[in-house]
Amino acid sequence: MKILVVEDEKELAENIRAYLSRSDMICEAAFDFAEAQDKLLSFEYDIVLLDIMLPDGNGLHLLRLLKQLQPETGVLIVSAKNALDDKVKGLELGADDYLTKPFHLPELNARLNAIFRRRKFQGHKMLEFGDLHVNTDTHDVLVKGQPLVLTVKEYELLLFFISNKNRPLTKQIIAEHLWGDHVDFLDSFDFVYQHIKNLRKKITAAGGADYIKTIYGLGYKFSED
Amino acid sequence: MNLIAKTTLLYLFVASLVFGAGGVVAYVLVQQEVQKETDFALYDNMLQLTEELADSIPLYILKRGKVDIYDLGSEVRDTFYQFSDTLAPHPYREGQMEPFRKISAVQLVNGRYYKISITDVIIETDDIYDVVVKIMLRLFIILGLAMIVFSFIITRLLFRPFQKTLSQIRAFRLKESDPLRLPNTSTKEFRQLHVFLEEMTAKAKRDYLAMKEFSENASHEIQTPLAIAQGKLELLMETPNLSDEQLQLTEAIQQSIARLSKLGKALLLLTKIDNQEFSPQKPIDFSQIGQSCLDNFSELADLKGLRMHVQIEPNVLLAVNPVLADVLVSNLLKNAIRYNEPNGWIELELNQYHLLVRNPGKEPSVPTERLFDRFQKSQPTYGSLGLGLAIVKKIAEASGMKVNYIFNSGIHQLQVVFPSAKA
Repeated sequence: MKILVVEDEKELAENIRAYLSRSDMICEAAFDFAEAQDKLLSFEYDIVLLDIMLPDGNGLHLLRLLKQLQPETGVLIVSAKNALDDKVKGLELGADDYLTKPFHLPELNARLNAIFRRRKFQGHKMLEFGDLHVNTDTHDVLVKGQPLVLTVKEYELLLFFISNKNRPLTKQIIAEHLWGDHVDFLDSFDFVYQHIKNLRKKITAAGGADYIKTIYGLGYKFSED
Repeated sequence: MNLIAKTTLLYLFVASLVFGAGGVVAYVLVQQEVQKETDFALYDNMLQLTEELADSIPLYILKRGKVDIYDLGSEVRDTFYQFSDTLAPHPYREGQMEPFRKISAVQLVNGRYYKISITDVIIETDDIYDVVVKIMLRLFIILGLAMIVFSFIITRLLFRPFQKTLSQIRAFRLKESDPLRLPNTSTKEFRQLHVFLEEMTAKAKRDYLAMKEFSENASHEIQTPLAIAQGKLELLMETPNLSDEQLQLTEAIQQSIARLSKLGKALLLLTKIDNQEFSPQKPIDFSQIGQSCLDNFSELADLKGLRMHVQIEPNVLLAVNPVLADVLVSNLLKNAIRYNEPNGWIELELNQYHLLVRNPGKEPSVPTERLFDRFQKSQPTYGSLGLGLAIVKKIAEASGMKVNYIFNSGIHQLQVVFPSAKA
């Protein structure tokens, strides 16, 4: 997956680049409108991560340009503003998703994966992890070929885990992925725990291995070992 | 009572004192003058009589109505004269006594002594008093009328620019962009006032804008470094072979950063509501917003084992900004879930009149009227920012709603009263 990060905050762009490079993504960064324009004219990307508040030009202009140059490329808009206007405008102009700063890097990773699945496989992507098979189009989950019945949140949780496999995920990151701003930390940790407990129970009951590893005092990690 | 009316009344009060004192002075002066003139006339008469006596005019001729002369012979006596007041019958009115002025004298004329007395009517003090009072009263009435006319003219002409200024100041809003422009006037004091007011309001506006910009920028700018720090920590977390302790420390730092970030966002929201950046909108379906918030939270309530009793009347239309409406309902539900009892319940009622949320819980440790202040937490929990109800209140104020809270026999009740649909 080839990604262009358009972000004027160099440290932030570096964080994203470093994080995404650890999985199988090729990540480039552009720090302003002109640089981003150059890159878009010269190379093709799968997804562009776009900060719409650029110092030398509105990111929404860049989005229009991108849609002309590379209509196949997915766009994830990032904004520090929690402004509904920008979100609506961005989505109208063809952005795939919207993320508000500050965001968690695993969250970004999960969103990018989702966009990639939708764009490249028209949603028909089978995610595989150990004994698990997930059809992201029909939301069907199979454990060793046997269907697994999950609630919406449990499905979201599983997908989030698979997108961020082998990475430590704090309860906070998981809670914010599942409920956004609707939860505050203390309660939400219990809620995360309940969902994880149920998901783990369902997978192991269907004969799958226990992929959800607890990291004491931190959170969880989804891995095969 | 306005300034002019007060001035007029005060002026008239002082005038009445002055007129009173003036009356007394006038009375005394007139009385003294009258007496002096009477005495002078009497003395003149006396001299004339003495001369006539010296001219040997017989006594019976000289003894007229008001004159008494007695021949006292040639025995040596003191000669003198003296004035006195006396009462005598009224010359025309029978049986009525009247005050008279009398001069009595013993004079030596051609070697003989005569006792002479002359009386004359003097003007009565009553009459003087009456006249003085009459004059003063009329003057006072004329003055009063003049003052009323004068104050009317002052109000109408001189104070018109002042009235205009007042109404403009009343219409002045710090949050609006128009500067205060006051009309020109030829009155120096008003000109000074206008200059002062214009400078003051312009400064207040500048300060307000600067403050507004600052608080928005501050809560905004804070998010970028927080995002960077958070990202670095997430990268750090992925470093292989971190000890449990190191991971726990990272997690603790992350929680604090997330908290700081939420705090910044909440303050930014409060500032934005304060700055009226959420314009009031066309009526929206509040029932729909309530329902969707409920859907978001029903799972969380479920996880906490709370039963929901919901009564939402459909098609409750309210002119509220949809973002704010969502935040309002979400915050109330969040509180109802957080400050609930294990296996408790939440009651939500939404209709044209109000939004009512009830749930059992512990009594808040903060006085109920202070619960809506910023950073007041009813129970010290680390997860709460203490801004939820402050935001609820701000949104309600900005949207013309009223919020009230009651804690009664173990039940929290929060009511948001909507502005009446008809009004």
